[in-house]
Amino acid sequence: MTDLGTRTATPTVRVNGEDVTGEVPARMLLVHYLRENAGRTGVHVGCDSGNCGACTVLLDGAPVKSCMVLAAQASGREVTTVDGLDAPCVPALRRAFVEHAAIQCGYCTPGMLTNATALLRDDPHPDEDAIRAALKGNLCMCTGYQQIVDAVAAAAAEGEEASR
Amino acid sequence: MTIYAPDRVLAASNWVGRRAPRKEDARHLYGRARFLDDLPFEGGAIAILRSPHPHARIVSVDTSRALADPRVLAVVTGEDVRRETSPVASRSVTAPVTQYVMAVDKVRWVGEPVVAIAAVDMFAAKDALDLVDVEYEPLPSVADVDAALAGDAPLIYDDIDSNVLVHDEIAHGPMAQAFDDAAFVVRETYRVGRFSSTPLEPYALTVAYDANNEVYDVVANDQQPARSIGNITKALGVPTANVRLSVPESGGSFGIKLAIWPYALIGCLLAKRAGRPLKWIQTRTEHMLGGTHTPDVKMEMELPVGADGKILAMRLRSKENDGAFIHTAGIYGLIKFATAVGPYTIGAASIDLMSVVTNRGPVVQNRGVGKPAMTFALERSVDRAARRLGMDPAEFRLRNMVPPEAMPYTTPAGEIYESGDYPETMRRALELGRYREFREKQAVARAEGRLLGIGLSAGIEPGTSNIGYYSLLKGTTDYNGSSEGAVVGIEVDGQVTVRTGSVDTGQGHETTICQVVADMLGITPEDISFDTFFDSTRSPYTGQSGAYSNRFNDVEVGAVITATERVRAKVRTLAAYLLEAKEEDLVLGDRAVHVAGDASRSVAFGELAKVAYNKVVLLPPDMEPGLRVMAYYRNPMAKPPDRGDFNVQLTHSNSVHVVVVEVDKGTGMLDFLKYAIVHDCGRQLNPAVVEGMAIGSTVHGIGGALLEEFQYDDAANPLATSFQTYLKPVAQTVPRIELGHLESPCPYTLLGTKATGEGGSITSLAAIGNAVEDALSPYGVQVNSLPITPEKILRGIRDGAPV
Ligand code: FES
Ligand code: FES
Repeated sequence: MTDLGTRTATPTVRVNGEDVTGEVPARMLLVHYLRENAGRTGVHVGCDSGNCGACTVLLDGAPVKSCMVLAAQASGREVTTVDGLDAPCVPALRRAFVEHAAIQCGYCTPGMLTNATALLRDDPHPDEDAIRAALKGNLCMCTGYQQIVDAVAAAAAEGEEASR
Repeated sequence: MTIYAPDRVLAASNWVGRRAPRKEDARHLYGRARFLDDLPFEGGAIAILRSPHPHARIVSVDTSRALADPRVLAVVTGEDVRRETSPVASRSVTAPVTQYVMAVDKVRWVGEPVVAIAAVDMFAAKDALDLVDVEYEPLPSVADVDAALAGDAPLIYDDIDSNVLVHDEIAHGPMAQAFDDAAFVVRETYRVGRFSSTPLEPYALTVAYDANNEVYDVVANDQQPARSIGNITKALGVPTANVRLSVPESGGSFGIKLAIWPYALIGCLLAKRAGRPLKWIQTRTEHMLGGTHTPDVKMEMELPVGADGKILAMRLRSKENDGAFIHTAGIYGLIKFATAVGPYTIGAASIDLMSVVTNRGPVVQNRGVGKPAMTFALERSVDRAARRLGMDPAEFRLRNMVPPEAMPYTTPAGEIYESGDYPETMRRALELGRYREFREKQAVARAEGRLLGIGLSAGIEPGTSNIGYYSLLKGTTDYNGSSEGAVVGIEVDGQVTVRTGSVDTGQGHETTICQVVADMLGITPEDISFDTFFDSTRSPYTGQSGAYSNRFNDVEVGAVITATERVRAKVRTLAAYLLEAKEEDLVLGDRAVHVAGDASRSVAFGELAKVAYNKVVLLPPDMEPGLRVMAYYRNPMAKPPDRGDFNVQLTHSNSVHVVVVEVDKGTGMLDFLKYAIVHDCGRQLNPAVVEGMAIGSTVHGIGGALLEEFQYDDAANPLATSFQTYLKPVAQTVPRIELGHLESPCPYTLLGTKATGEGGSITSLAAIGNAVEDALSPYGVQVNSLPITPEKILRGIRDGAPV
């Protein structure tokens, strides 16, 4: 058995404001740690090459594909998953996803929503091109993206309205 | 015959047709949805050792080192599968080929399962794959149909003497006459590459074996569990009740998840040995290798055209590269014959179909099944014919379309186009896509040396499968997809409950069904609980229940309506009895039955249910207790199998796509300047859901037209095994799609609905191909193959080679 197979790690990851500690195989990915050790099953797995974005979380605030990070590497850092999103734009985003029928199977939704949250937090007034560019790392096989893009634009417009 | 009866079916008009917010959404927005891997689970994990060779004899399999690993729970090899299961039954192949769900004696594609291992966890299972020793003797392999058909080609199935599994011709109408009368014939060969909808959630399943009751408890994200149960129980040789199959939330399917059952079968063998529940989560790489594809296809099309610009006939020879899995071989060739004439009054049609075995991965139904490639060939040829006549392609299509007064129109094969105004769809699409304006812009652009192209495509999107096309080959009526079941009830607290025999994989079935039931009973969707968890021990499935072939709007809604109508009738009879009123004076509303015009006389659903379940002595003497009804529904238009007169599918939406692209001469990249669709899918139950289907399926087609291809080298080694090398459309690169609707109610569905999940996939390939060829016309470059990559475009611009 390889060394990699037996070595363990004991990361402490702050997930949605709570510390989660556990002894896990050193090779465990953050996405699996979040799902299995932190019970955050809203973080999904859609590929094994970092190309689909279904596993997107905020790592110290930045959108990151959690399948591209080892659980051990996230020790001492802060992770926000879809159910812990609390930026001011989040309620408007959730409403807009419903109003614009931006969800079909919903498997991409947590990653999309997480990425959109980071976008609107950093750029509250993105134009359509900026939204499409920001979401380019999140694959959706169902919607063709249009209604998702419209939802993010609508949430941004709502934010604009509120800040007037 | 007319089945359409909205006035009879609906008691209110508050929900049907509205953009009701989806009941499914909240759980996704908070990460609370329960996909298979999210369900509570205690047990081990399965990993599968797959063939590294496209074609090889298995000399030996030694699993002893794996079995010696204390973390390994069980191992299953191809030999075990051969001993303990019956071979895979093919749906249409009559040739005597034998195949199992794992490789036995030899491997036929890279990725074919060779050994399956159960271990205490995922890491242990995957580690143990390294402990299996397999000796292979590589054999010559073939990747494409021409190579597989060559005289010296290696035989992939040893039990037959060629690599052809199915070869047949299905022809209707006066073909010879058409060729005699033709002023010219458009002849062309087209190729469409292998691609897939690649649902974002790959295959996933758990299996537990209950040794006391000898029951296999399978949970899988299967899109047609009804069929899987039949396949699994038959293969295991156990009674139906000994396999329980449930389906949780599923992350997309598109046809691709019709092929999970072979893995469920492997899981059953392992779980029985392991003595504990097991889970298998397919990796994306496994999914790309063989989980599964649309076949690549070579199509030779002939279109004889009269001097008056009328298309006289359509002849297609199609060779599908069905890879090396016999279960669904032949389907892509078979399914298209009855609608091969598209929206046109073509009087004769012939399809010569050949299902060819190669060492590529398996194929299964993918969004639109065969019709996208067929429409690509037809609509490309239609453009060529228009050019030959010097006629505008829109004008040429209008001249050939089935006119509205000819509805219902029967195609030469017997398919019934039930309603629609195809020419009007075209006219509106030209308007929405600003066709004339772009033609003017195109002239300007060309004068400036820019490559602007405009493409049109008119497609038919059929729904509800009559499936009997398999039977046409076998001569038996084994399968029919035109029925579905539902259970509707009113519970003691007045809540309405609904369950069907099918599953939802992202199409908003829960929302849409609740809209219909709400308007039938005068309640709101919130008053209804829809059971989204299919369970074969309680879901009222029929033999071919499932989410496929655009059948939801027709037979699944039909089954729910039928059950609800029976509940409603009983509610009215019971209320009339209890209120001492006449049934015709009763109205439904607010979860109660009221005497019209007398506010003091009403009885709540909950009270009626209490009488029906609990206070049964108060029931009318001749009334059965209970307020739950199970009903089955079938679309009665399905014809029995007959080669001379057969309808493959039972409802028909239609659409026209108008696409404007600009090709960059330097890079070969293209930009969409316009993507407009006008479609007619009959009455819409929820326009927001319909739009999502139309746009999503179109973007799937854009992927197949421009980006996606499971490429193989000449020896059939796969070259695209992840989203690094298999490119999907992303938000940044897809165009905005403008959508217009016509609503021609379908006379053969209860609410006038028609298909809506596959139209974009079917029609888009040709629209894009036509636009690119139009853009490249200054160079005389033809577009005969998909995907249209920048490399092919540049080669075309450089030396005139066809794309
Ligand atoms: S699972 Fe992380 S990017 Fe696909
Ligand atoms: S909604 Fe299914 S993948 Fe996006």
